[in-house]
Amino acid sequence: MNPFTYTEPVTIDETLATLTRYGEEAKLIAGGTGLINLMKQRLVNPGYLVGLRRLSELAKISFDRGLRIGALCTHRALETSPLVREHAPLLAEACRHVATVRIRTMATIGGAVAHADPNQDLPPALIALDARVKLRSPKGEREVPIDQFFTGYYETVMQPDEMVTELAIAPAPPASGYAFLKFLPQTADDYATVGVAAMVAIDRGRVAGVRVALGAAGSTPIRARVVESALRGQEPTPRRLADAAAMVADIVDPIADFRGSAEYKRDMAVVFVRRALAQAVARAQAGGRGA
Amino acid sequence: MRNIQMQVNGKAVAREVPDQRLLVDFLRYDLGLTGTKEGCSVGVCGACTVLLDGQPVSSCIVLAVMAEGCEITTIEGLAEGDRLHPLQQAFIEYGGFQCGICTPGQIMASKALLDANPHPTREQIREWMMGNLCRCTGYYKIIESIQAAAEGKTGP
Amino acid sequence: MGILRSIGQAAGHVEGPAKVTGRARYSADILLPGMLWGKTLRSPFPHARIVSIDLSAARELPGVHAVLTAADLPEVRIGRFLRDIPVLARDRVRFIGEKVVTVAAETPEAAEDALRLVEVEYEELPAVFDPLEAMRAEAPRLHEHPETYEHPPIPPIGGDSRFHPFANVCSQNFFRRGDLKLGFTAAERTFEHTFFVPPVHQGYIEPHACAAAIGADGKIDIWLSNKTPFIARNQLALAFGVAEDRVRVNPTAIGGDFGGKGSLMDSALCYFLARASGRPVKMVMTYTEELTAGNPRHAALVTLRTGVTRDGRITAHQAKLVFNCGAYGAFIPLHFVHGGVHAASGPYRVPHMEIEALRVYTNTVPRGHYRAPGAPQTTFAVESHMDMIARELGIDPLEFRLRNVLIDGDESPMGERWQHVRCRETLMAAAEAAAWGSPKPPNVGRGIGIYERATGAFGTSSATLTIDADSKLTLLTGAADTGTGSYTVLGQVVAEELQAPLSDVIVIQGDTDTAEWEDGAGGSRLTHMAGRATLTAAREVSSALIALAARRLGCAPDQVQMRDRRFIASDGRELDWDSLLSWAAEHEALPLTRSGSYVAGHPVEVTCYAAQVAEVEVDPETGQVRLRRIVTAHDVGTVINPLTHQGQIEGGLVQGIGQAMTEHLQVRDGAVTTAHLGDYKLPTAMDIPELSTVLVESKTGPGPFAGKAIGEMSNVPPPAAVANAVFDAVGVRLMDLPVTAEKVYAGLRAKENRQ
Repeated sequence: MNPFTYTEPVTIDETLATLTRYGEEAKLIAGGTGLINLMKQRLVNPGYLVGLRRLSELAKISFDRGLRIGALCTHRALETSPLVREHAPLLAEACRHVATVRIRTMATIGGAVAHADPNQDLPPALIALDARVKLRSPKGEREVPIDQFFTGYYETVMQPDEMVTELAIAPAPPASGYAFLKFLPQTADDYATVGVAAMVAIDRGRVAGVRVALGAAGSTPIRARVVESALRGQEPTPRRLADAAAMVADIVDPIADFRGSAEYKRDMAVVFVRRALAQAVARAQAGGRGA
Repeated sequence: MRNIQMQVNGKAVAREVPDQRLLVDFLRYDLGLTGTKEGCSVGVCGACTVLLDGQPVSSCIVLAVMAEGCEITTIEGLAEGDRLHPLQQAFIEYGGFQCGICTPGQIMASKALLDANPHPTREQIREWMMGNLCRCTGYYKIIESIQAAAEGKTGP
Repeated sequence: MGILRSIGQAAGHVEGPAKVTGRARYSADILLPGMLWGKTLRSPFPHARIVSIDLSAARELPGVHAVLTAADLPEVRIGRFLRDIPVLARDRVRFIGEKVVTVAAETPEAAEDALRLVEVEYEELPAVFDPLEAMRAEAPRLHEHPETYEHPPIPPIGGDSRFHPFANVCSQNFFRRGDLKLGFTAAERTFEHTFFVPPVHQGYIEPHACAAAIGADGKIDIWLSNKTPFIARNQLALAFGVAEDRVRVNPTAIGGDFGGKGSLMDSALCYFLARASGRPVKMVMTYTEELTAGNPRHAALVTLRTGVTRDGRITAHQAKLVFNCGAYGAFIPLHFVHGGVHAASGPYRVPHMEIEALRVYTNTVPRGHYRAPGAPQTTFAVESHMDMIARELGIDPLEFRLRNVLIDGDESPMGERWQHVRCRETLMAAAEAAAWGSPKPPNVGRGIGIYERATGAFGTSSATLTIDADSKLTLLTGAADTGTGSYTVLGQVVAEELQAPLSDVIVIQGDTDTAEWEDGAGGSRLTHMAGRATLTAAREVSSALIALAARRLGCAPDQVQMRDRRFIASDGRELDWDSLLSWAAEHEALPLTRSGSYVAGHPVEVTCYAAQVAEVEVDPETGQVRLRRIVTAHDVGTVINPLTHQGQIEGGLVQGIGQAMTEHLQVRDGAVTTAHLGDYKLPTAMDIPELSTVLVESKTGPGPFAGKAIGEMSNVPPPAAVANAVFDAVGVRLMDLPVTAEKVYAGLRAKENRQ
């Protein structure tokens, strides 16, 4: 690691002022589970590291016409939060599949979003949940729908003077079910070969709402709109789910790595989208919200 | 450089360290607590597991400055004098280690588990402990050791 | 012999309290006053000439005490057998990761910073990564004058052996039996298959570490993660050009070995840094250095040709083994990959056989030893091959094996005449426990793998045992406990022989000055050899106590027996243990010390078998293989410690599962790309199958109390058992490891397209 100066502001305004002062020289650090490894490999070399852990106002989870999750909430906090389990069981389940408990203890939801690693588990889950990312800068606040947040490999719409403060998740419609599938053909602690999150709402036997997203399938997390539109308004028969899932092959753009070749990941994306849809539909039909 | 203070195994410590000092190096070399081991250095193997405010973390990817003001528990803080913690006793009696290099991390991780869930099922133990790699035991006896400690089946 | 008290006791490790409290001191834990940190700069090129090295900026950095290149070192090459690797690269680098420059500095950060200031100019040379290509006449040569590399005399094992016979071949060995041509003429069917096994890493959680300090009297103290301290001492003395007694290797706990901790790694370099800086120096490898520049298992290309009769009897067997040994051959303690050759004919009756084994230099990381070196590679090949033959002949794979495995009276393909052969029994025990042949659900399959390996019997072991007036028995051994529980097992041998509680025995590993010579851990020899030496020492102590008792009782020693901690004269008079010890103490006969040693003599006459059945379930849509269950059956002797014995079985098994299913040290253009434990996939607690262990016991082992070796058995058959089970489940045959979902998926698609 290259030397740097560590600062630890106690308010959001102070944090933003520090960010503005040092510009690209500064990096925010929450849990640090991603950043420290990049710094150890000297892939990221900030001159100033701005620690966020004193901003306790960003570590809260509340429900107010929707779930509001502070950016500093850890994966472990979300995994175990009764509020999250009740209102966004998909998110709780996705958190449980992230790495190991030691990582989940430190890693935050804001970090998972800002880090923008397309192979991670939370981004597709948040896309399926239609989450909104709240960003703050000295100029003010804005909200970005999560499916417009990621722009490239480790890249987002965030400006250098912005920070993530909150993730907002609207309540799930009635009679909806979810699925989160992480394909781990190697060991249990790994990045997904492909990861799929799905939400399906059923109304009078037909698909009233559907959101499907994939991780480890391209340079950003991918929302499978083509799959969604093929199903909206349709009766979710196994045949239709399979046909819709097959369409995902054209929109994923996976890279070959230790977790599989691009071709294999593309084929697996189809399999796991179909399985996720089937599971979400079954949960929706069984009484909604996946319980 | 920065002066940091924290509670380590119940004792207040203060040292001046460079900002980039990792918690594992702080414990091992600034404090001489070499019971905490370093294996993979990337937060995967779990050999460096310590408890930070009661929660298990990889001390190889935590900056010492980020633990400022926190309570740290390491393997050295578990036994009371010569009296071993039930987990320590169980790991000996049930063959939960061989070479011992991952053992401080295994024991700290399992302590965090039993603190959160005093009576875990076998599946819950496997899931929680999957982040602590062991190359000697194949895990079977680690799982047995934790079960035995949870069930109070240790000691003479 | 009295009642067995300690033998068979599931005693926890005697060094347990130190290991569970963090007090156990590993090499990286050594902290010496004034200690500096050593780091090395490694080659970024697989093959290059070193044109120039500029150290000026590095030397000026504050906190830097020594910066060395090969020019600062004596011109010496080191190695466990073949001495072909320089301590630092001289003029030329031969693999990515070869050490070029080393630095000692006040802090690890300063050492790293200094290395970043070193400028090395390289001129790249053509490189070769594939052993088959390396053997072609036009291939770039890695070593210009390999004939100058020194090595000890080649021992009388290993058939017809040659070092450096032709282009880039480190060693070539032939093993022949009968008349191969005749054997193939007698065959009704002949099968030939080629298998590939990629390299895997030992995966010990402790990266290599070492420390060196030079005393005012010139004594050189070394601490290093090494399982054979005496051998290391001699190799170090050779490297330093000093007498062996100038070097002392100090015991440290070893954080996992599995065969990989037998080389000097950085320790010779560490001494040169200490000498140059005048300060103690410590070097700790990072795990990335371990994975990219350690000494992983050899990759192997195995071609097998077997002739059989129609009813499934082997008439001839030919094996060609090509091991990729990387850029240097220094990391194995023999002239060939012994275990790989030995396993190349399996545990079968083979009248006519030929094995050719080659170790080939390539511009890749040098390869070393890993638990049953060579055996998992060739056993994967042999056991897959046998399965394929059985199925082609329409014979059940179990039945095919039963027709061919050795029985009492057979001579093994390698010429051994084993007594008490338990191969069939072990195979049957595994098959029965796995319900072989019983119905199974769709996509579920079962596969067999079997392996034979004898208890290690080589070198010399020593033990010194002292009894004091408090009845404490202190065993001084030179053997390192690599985690297997050897201190505990040796303690149990003492306790048993002296009818003492295990808690009275203290086992101390001496340094190389205080302990007697010990060849140490390796080749499944320790319980046998060190156990025998310990038993001899214990018997000597017991005889001495009996002699004292005779003196006290006023009779001849041969009239006194020790039984249940009492000394009983033939006339019925008795003396209890404590009275004898107090009397002996008063007469200054205590403490009493006796030594024992054990030297390998004639080869052992019994061997050991391990048979496994893996049961897998394959997801036909993804190719994912779930290992539902493994049965591992072992032909064992007296089990001295059921806890540590089972620990060896379980730990080995999961390593074998790793090699079978997830581990693959990937090398691309000479660079190891799986460079950290996030990408090199060791099995986790979630990845282990339901396990059934069956012990087929017989009191026939060569070890103390008729024990047999167990350390290098269970890790060998899993790759074959899993691959055979996958075929049984879905009809996909994998010819290379690991058995990944993607390969099975590809096999399933190919099968679909054929249909």
